[in-house]
Amino acid sequence: MEKGTCPVADNARTLAGILAEGRIPVARCRQWTEDILSLMKDVGSGRGGAEHLPAMEALAKRLQREGGNEDCVALGKRLLSELQTHREVFLSHLETANCPLGDCIQLSPAPCQMACPAGIDVSGYVTLIGQGRGDEAISLIRKDNPFPWVCGLVCTHPCEFMCVRGRIDKPIAIKDLKGFAAERAMSEGKYANPDRAPDNGRKVCIIGAGPAGLTAAYYLGLKGYRVTVIESLPMAGGMMMVGIPRYRLPREVIDREVAMIEDLGVTFRYNTRLGTDVTLDDLKQEGFEAFFLAIGAHASFKMRVSGEDDFPGVADAIAFLKRVALGDHHMPGKKVAVIGGGNVAMDAARTCIRLGCEEVTVVYRRTRSDMPANPEEVEQAEEEDIRFSFLTVPIEIRGGDGKISSLRCLRSELGPEDESGRRRPVPVEGSDFSIDVDAVIPAIGQTIDKSGLESLDALQWSRRNTINVDRASMETPVEGFFAAGDVVTGPATVVEAIGGGKRAAEAIDRYFEGIPQPKMPPVPVRRQHLGFLEVPASTKMSLSRPQMQMLGYDRRRTTFQQVELGLSENSAREEARRCLRCDICVRCGKCVDICRNKMGVDALQMGYLHFDRPGHTDFRVAAERCILCGACAANCPTGAMKIEDRNRERVLTLCGTILNHLELEYCQSCGAPLGPARYHDFIRKRTGETALLAGAEHLCMTCARKAAARAHGEIMPPVA
Amino acid sequence: MSKYYLFQDAKNCIGCHSCEVACKSNKDLPVGPKVCQVLTIGPRLVDNVPKAAYIFMPCFHCEDPWCVAACPTGAMQKRAKDGIVFVDHDLCVGCKTCMSACPWGAPQWNPEIGKVVKCDYCMDRIDQGLKPACVTVCTTHCLHFETTDKIQPIRRERYAKAMAALE
Repeated sequence: MEKGTCPVADNARTLAGILAEGRIPVARCRQWTEDILSLMKDVGSGRGGAEHLPAMEALAKRLQREGGNEDCVALGKRLLSELQTHREVFLSHLETANCPLGDCIQLSPAPCQMACPAGIDVSGYVTLIGQGRGDEAISLIRKDNPFPWVCGLVCTHPCEFMCVRGRIDKPIAIKDLKGFAAERAMSEGKYANPDRAPDNGRKVCIIGAGPAGLTAAYYLGLKGYRVTVIESLPMAGGMMMVGIPRYRLPREVIDREVAMIEDLGVTFRYNTRLGTDVTLDDLKQEGFEAFFLAIGAHASFKMRVSGEDDFPGVADAIAFLKRVALGDHHMPGKKVAVIGGGNVAMDAARTCIRLGCEEVTVVYRRTRSDMPANPEEVEQAEEEDIRFSFLTVPIEIRGGDGKISSLRCLRSELGPEDESGRRRPVPVEGSDFSIDVDAVIPAIGQTIDKSGLESLDALQWSRRNTINVDRASMETPVEGFFAAGDVVTGPATVVEAIGGGKRAAEAIDRYFEGIPQPKMPPVPVRRQHLGFLEVPASTKMSLSRPQMQMLGYDRRRTTFQQVELGLSENSAREEARRCLRCDICVRCGKCVDICRNKMGVDALQMGYLHFDRPGHTDFRVAAERCILCGACAANCPTGAMKIEDRNRERVLTLCGTILNHLELEYCQSCGAPLGPARYHDFIRKRTGETALLAGAEHLCMTCARKAAARAHGEIMPPVA
Repeated sequence: MSKYYLFQDAKNCIGCHSCEVACKSNKDLPVGPKVCQVLTIGPRLVDNVPKAAYIFMPCFHCEDPWCVAACPTGAMQKRAKDGIVFVDHDLCVGCKTCMSACPWGAPQWNPEIGKVVKCDYCMDRIDQGLKPACVTVCTTHCLHFETTDKIQPIRRERYAKAMAALE
């Protein structure tokens, strides 16, 4: 083994190689080897538990004893000896989740990838888009998320909040890039599924065709399971379909991505509700051995104000959005109040405008800056003439003859912080006022609709009315039952549901294989190591985040056409070039320290390296000061900083950003490159007069030594 | 200059390169850097006989070394007590200025650690009362390591003998 090679990573590589080359012909042995590999990867990503080592040993022993053919026996034997020899290293990975040799790759995924609930290799796909390989970008995303197009349009993009580029100017438009690549790949017919494993005959039932259920269906389908999804609605998509309005997420987008999952042999039963249309016993009798509950959070919280139940004009946002999504485009009223400050409230309000409501007011009890809705959603709502009434608490819905006439409210003030860390609104006595409305849409939060789950009395429910599961394996206390998505997290985002579905799929696979479940939730994995996009420092600094093209206001107020029109090919590729490639550069700051404090050159102005107090960043400064000594590159632990000689120039790059390039000087004897004039001036200034007198000739190290040796040879005394 | 003198009696050197090997293994160096090097000059015809000279090139441990002047980090130093020029790896950042500054090509690049290595007369061995690694393995005993006051007048004696033989 070479120096710096970790036995965990090394064995995983070897096993993957053996499997990829198809060197294990016996199916049974291949399965055992795959299981060992999967366990090995757990160990290498810090997710292993105490049972991992004995489980791997047991599997290796089986390979050795029952392998049957020579290769399998030899492999088993070798693995056993590896596990024995490097026991200490394996244990340190398991106990401290640390790879002392730094060989286990996911030690430092980029912050964007760490922030992604689905753990997408963001830097990887952004780079692929920059290279014009959008279809490969989609394949890369789909290793962690089967809905790149949906997420490219509606994801809340937690990645962008962590984006390091945001400390220089604005974060990379990660979400928009994903949407661009997915649409392009789909239209060019290059959006393809990876190869499906052969049918393994095992039946899994997924309850709920939302993002969590569909994600699990995708990954289980790929693994060869026979997956059936039951869904109470007449179409797939769950909240993506009936919660998110069409102007943000066209139906075709969901349908096309669901079709990709159907292509894997996943079957759907629509209009089928567990507990009503089919019972658990029926499903068990059909041969389903594992179940995945992903029923979402489709019930709404009540406002608990008087009049709430008295008028048909009061419809909660979830029911309202569902009705519109299913095709009923009647407006709820002429003057509508939407209660709440979240994304659902924005969706409901903007939907009302599109249905022709004359006046839509969002009533929120805190201030604008406290709104949980995405800022761009709020901005777009304002552009569509939606009114906002902040610091307003509704107290009564008034009316007569079954018709609402007004919403009575109190002004509020922000008091001390509550348990969520936000200041609690306190109503001001005697400040009541009325808003004239004929419809009220409460959007103050969702909860789980438990109906249909009565037969599963062993499920444990949390105080928040969600299902308790093991957060690493998504297992419920009921044997063979897994759950994820909103039903576990409470109302959350599409991408969180996708992350949960992916974890559940892996756990269900392990459940069938009888191998131990991970003890820790997965750490995102860097999927591939891509080269850098070369960008001059001035371009890197001057490129700016593209402005999303938007539909005209008149169209937006009248139709459900998609509001965001997407990026152009050119702006997408330019945007990818802004990425700092934090998957390679770990922002340790060694280069800056050496250049400033050791060399005294101070050519690297990279203020973004400070996480808490980012300073000024300007990559262009390097070209003015850098002497191209290469000390930064020599000390870069990840190969982000590179110094190379090409085209008669010495070039310094940081993750592809060309920081400096100067013409080379050459050895006068052999013609080997020496360094640029600025570097030699730096040295001459330090060595002073004496060196200037002697250094008439410009020689490389080898030629200098040779010349000196020759001079010595010449002065040898005459031999007798 | 340092208070030591590493003298190669080139007449006796057969170019076996043992010194280079011992040096590399003592300093645990990869392919590439040659802290000391035996260079072949020639062959050329002397009285119709082809002759070659093998010249041992270590560091000369200059009195006023340019490598020390060039080093911006203070890694390249001259040891006060005996004048040995050496590089402190804790301070070296790999800017290679010493390599460019040296007129003899003495400082070498170790790509494995990204730092400069150079002949330090095996300081650690000297401090233990031993001789430099190259000297200890020289098959023809043509390498001599002494303090400057003890160096034997080998060349002077040989020249005198040659002069005597001419008479």
